[in-house]
Parts: sequence; C-alpha cells; structure tokens
Amino acid sequence: MNDNPYLRHAFRRAALRTVVNAGIVFFALAPIAWGVLSSLKPTNQILEVPPRFIPQDVTLEHYERVIGDKGLLFLGNSALISAITIVCALAIGSIAAYAIARYEFPGRKVLMVFTIGVMSIPIASLLIPTFTLLSVVGLINTHVGLILLYTAYQLPIVIWMLYGYFLSLPVEVEHAARIDGYTALGTLRRVVLPLSKPALVAAALFVLVFAWNDFVVAVTMTSSESVRTFPVAVYFYLGFYGREWGPLLAAAVISIIPIILIFIVLQRYFISGLTGGGVKG
Amino acid sequence: MSTVTFRNVSKRYGAITALDDLDLEIGDGEFVSLLGPSGSGKSTTLNLLAGLISANSGTIHIGEREITHLPPEQRDLAMVFQNYALYPHMTVAENIAFPLEARKPRPDKDVISRSVERVAETLSIGNLLARYPKEISGGQQQRVALGRAMVRDPRVFLLDEPLSNLDARLRVRMRRDLKELHRQLGSTIVYVTHDQSEAMTLSDRVAVFAQGRLQQVAPPREIYDNPVNTFVANFVGDRETNFLDGVLEGDDYLTFHSGPVALKLGKRQLKNARQKVTLGVRPEAVAIASSATDGMRAEVILTELAGAELFVYLRLASGDEIGMRCDPREVSVATGETVNVRFDPRQIHLFDQESGQTLA
Repeated sequence: MNDNPYLRHAFRRAALRTVVNAGIVFFALAPIAWGVLSSLKPTNQILEVPPRFIPQDVTLEHYERVIGDKGLLFLGNSALISAITIVCALAIGSIAAYAIARYEFPGRKVLMVFTIGVMSIPIASLLIPTFTLLSVVGLINTHVGLILLYTAYQLPIVIWMLYGYFLSLPVEVEHAARIDGYTALGTLRRVVLPLSKPALVAAALFVLVFAWNDFVVAVTMTSSESVRTFPVAVYFYLGFYGREWGPLLAAAVISIIPIILIFIVLQRYFISGLTGGGVKG
Repeated sequence: MSTVTFRNVSKRYGAITALDDLDLEIGDGEFVSLLGPSGSGKSTTLNLLAGLISANSGTIHIGEREITHLPPEQRDLAMVFQNYALYPHMTVAENIAFPLEARKPRPDKDVISRSVERVAETLSIGNLLARYPKEISGGQQQRVALGRAMVRDPRVFLLDEPLSNLDARLRVRMRRDLKELHRQLGSTIVYVTHDQSEAMTLSDRVAVFAQGRLQQVAPPREIYDNPVNTFVANFVGDRETNFLDGVLEGDDYLTFHSGPVALKLGKRQLKNARQKVTLGVRPEAVAIASSATDGMRAEVILTELAGAELFVYLRLASGDEIGMRCDPREVSVATGETVNVRFDPRQIHLFDQESGQTLA
C-alpha cells in the first residue's frame, strides 16, 4: 500500500462507496433475483426450509403453465392497450403542451396549474365514478374503455413533461418553419416533435410503465378474459385457498422483461443535445 | 409588384407602445434598412411584416395584397434570423429544401434537389450539403440560412440582424456579398440592424426608428447630410455628433451665441427661425483653423490615434466638450495645448432646442 495519506484517504473513500452501493444494489435486486431464480424451481422446492438461493433442479414448468393459461392473450391485451395509450397520450399531449407553451390565450396559466393540480388526485378515488361513467357509455369491459381511462390519467404528466421541453426549444426555429410555409400543426410535426425526441421518449416510457403495470383500474373495469390484461392475470394465481408461487413468480418475471428491454433500447434518447448547432447561442 | 406598404400600423403590449402609427412604403426591388437602438420598433416592424406578431391597428400590404391578418405561411416571404434558426435535425441540403417541401403541390424530388444545388452553388456551400448545422462554422451557417431564404425566390426578403453574430472581418465581407446578392436577385429586401454603418453601406434607403416611432426615411447620404432631428443626427455616423445649446441672432446673416462662443453662420434660410437652438456638427466637420479670426479657442483634453484617423476631444471656451475627427498626417496636437477650431459651415445643423426637430 502507498504511504501517501491523501491516497490512503481516497482509497478508503472509494472502498466505502463501493460497500454502500453494493448494499443498495443488494436490497433493490435481491427480491427480483430471488423471484427469477424461484420461478425456475420445481413447486416443492420453492418454499423449502432452509431456503436455497440457487435452484437445485431447473424447470420451465411454471412458464409453460402461464403461457398455457392464455398468457399470450393477456400479454397481447396489455401490449395493445399500452401501445395505443402511448400513441393517444402523446398525440393529444403534444398538441396541448405546444398550445400552452407557445400561444397567448386567456386562462393559459390557470389551465397549466389545473393540469398539474389534477395529477395529485389519487386514481383510487376516481374508480367508482369512472366505473359508473364507463357503464353508462357502454365501454365497461372493453379495450377502448381502458385506453381512454389510461390516456386520461396520463395526459397531465405527458403535457407537463412536453410543455417544459417545448419551452426550452429556440422559438426562432419554429418561426422559421412558419415563414417557410408550414402551418402551426405542420411546424409541430416537422420541426418541434423531431427535436423533442428525448422528451417524447421519456413521456412514452412514463405512460408505458403505468399502462403496462396498472392493476387496480383494469381489475375494476374489466371482467372477461378477452379483455384481461397481464397484471390482472397475475392476480389470478393468488387463489382463494393458497398462493401458486411458481406460476405467480413466472408471470411476474414475464411482465418485467419487456419493460427492461424497452428501457435498454431507448436509453440513448435520454441523452439530449439534439438541438445543438442549429441556433448560435 | 413586391412593394411593401405600412399604413397607420401600431402595436401595443399592454401600456407599452412598441410601434406607433407607422407609415412606410418600400419600393419593388428596394433595399431598405430599419435602423435603431433596441426597443426602437424596428424588430417589431419586421415581425409584423413576417406575421409573427399581429398589429393592433393599421394595414400592411405586399403589392396589392393585404396581408395584415394572414398567418406567416401565407405571406410568401423569406426571412434570415439573427441566430440563423437552422433546423438542427436536418442536413444542410434538407434545411434548404424545407421551404420547397411546404409547397402545394409538392415539387418533384429532382426539381427540389436541382434548386438546392443551384442555390448552394451561388453561395459556395455545395460541399456542405450532407453536413448538419452543428458541424459547420458560423459563417457557413449564415450562408445556409441565406440559401434557405433564396431557394424560394421570395417576393420579399426579411433579414433580422443577420451579420451581428459574425466576427468583425467576416461581417464586412458578408456585407459586400449581401449587396452583390441583392444586385443579382433584385428582390425587395427589408434589413433590420442596430449598426448604422451596415445600414449606410447596404441600403438604398434607411428608415431610422426611435422609441416606437419612425424618425426619418431617406437615402443614406440624405440621412447623413440632413438629419431631421437630434436623434437621427447622433445615431447615424460613426462617432457622436457634437451638440451645442445657444441662441440665434440676426435676420439674414445669422450668428450663433453660446456663452463666450460666437459663431457666424452666414446667410441662411430657416423654415422657422427660433431664438433658442441646438447646433449640431459632426466630428468630421470640425477642423483646426489656420488663423484665430475665423476660429474658436479650444483646449485639447485627450487624443485617440486609431490608425488612419486621429480623434481629438476639445473643450470650448463655453465649457462644452466636442470631438474632432481628422487626419493624423495633417494634424498633430498635444493634450493641454490650446488651438483654434472651426466648423464647416455647410455641415452645421440647427435644431429646435425643445423638440429637437431640424430648423432647416
């Protein structure tokens, strides 16, 4: 070891940091790792005492069971509803955010405060009124009903995120597009949105995580298998007489894989800097 | 016809009047500069013409067509912005092609690319077409912005301080290029600047703005020789104009008195002769007098030698300080020295002391 006191100090700090970070990673990932590993164990080994972290025998029987229980249908429902929700939320949200960011109109500030304000309403408190509403208009137990609700729930956050990003864009570029012959909507589509990719991706991921993971709204508003989303299907492994740990864990693993993959694929968009160069600072 | 006509145009922001009752006509193919300090209304005028803001009253015409309430995309103008406003997510070629793609019906791909190449050739940026704006220099970005405006063959060009982000040398070179471009294109150009030397060198006519009002529109020479008020006299010209407050005496042969200073102005016809006047004289109209008889005594306070010119700060017997601009090869003075100075009588301007308006 080096005798330099400064280096010794730096080494100690680095060691401490590593230990603390390792602890945080362990606490965050251990349950997930346990879930993944246990989903590969035969049923009789999942709850054995003393517990074994690494499975003795590896089996895919729980995954087969989940897929066999119409798992692909439920996954498809979730994917379809999430995808359409993202499209709707971003389409409506970007137009609304652009209008609030760039147009002077009476009540603009109030509208923005109101939009942020409704984000604090807990979804649970809206369940019963929206259930009644959906039944009246005949959208209960339909894909469309869920998509409409998810879009409505996620619009405020999408508007808020895009609004902030739009404000940070140089307005001269939009003026240039208008003078170059594009309407306001054309400018939004050809100039503003392409420049806002990082914000659009971030907003889309927000919506995706909500729509993909939502349980409470889906379980309230749907009843038939043809509309059931994956989180609701997971719930069905919590039986009346006991938990079916194997399929439950396998379903949980299946549900987090797509989200993780999408995050990995899209993470480069978080790195902003697309606007550099067009406008001299 | 691509004349631009403003009639009684006003723009207010709450209590602030950004532009007050503008009447201005810009001829077909004319190069007109809107000159003024910030907040003078020159940029407001340009933005009103572009349609980026809307007027509270008055009308704006391009040719016979009223455009006062048309959105920008329907006005058929091209604009070059101070910060260029290139589209960062498009290549140079895509930037220049962008206005053509907005046309209905959209021109063929090869028609567009031929136009882009032709414009790029004119501006000698043909080798940059595949690059992105952030990969090229400021001067090159400037050319791309010009190219994007030129490609449309617009009826009217709007240039909003296009040279102010360039370094001094490049600015002077681009000035020449712009003038050449105007000669080639022959389109109407409205040019906003706060730099009087740009306005003077480039324009057919200069429109001087101050505090939301148009002060004077005239060819550069006319603005320089016959400013309508003290603001224009002071704003146009490289150096500040010297102003002396005093009184006029005499009927035909006028004399200007300011304390101990008496200045014979000779025979002058004044539209409205006033007793109390402000006399304005440019530093370049001040000279060392050969004899004491036709000069005024002045003390040299400070001298600045800037290459081809010598600038001398003088204090007159009245206590007023004035500047003198002269050729260092002909004049050599030292600080503290007392000299005789004279004003070129043809370049003396008389203004009303209260309103600042010219008396000529």
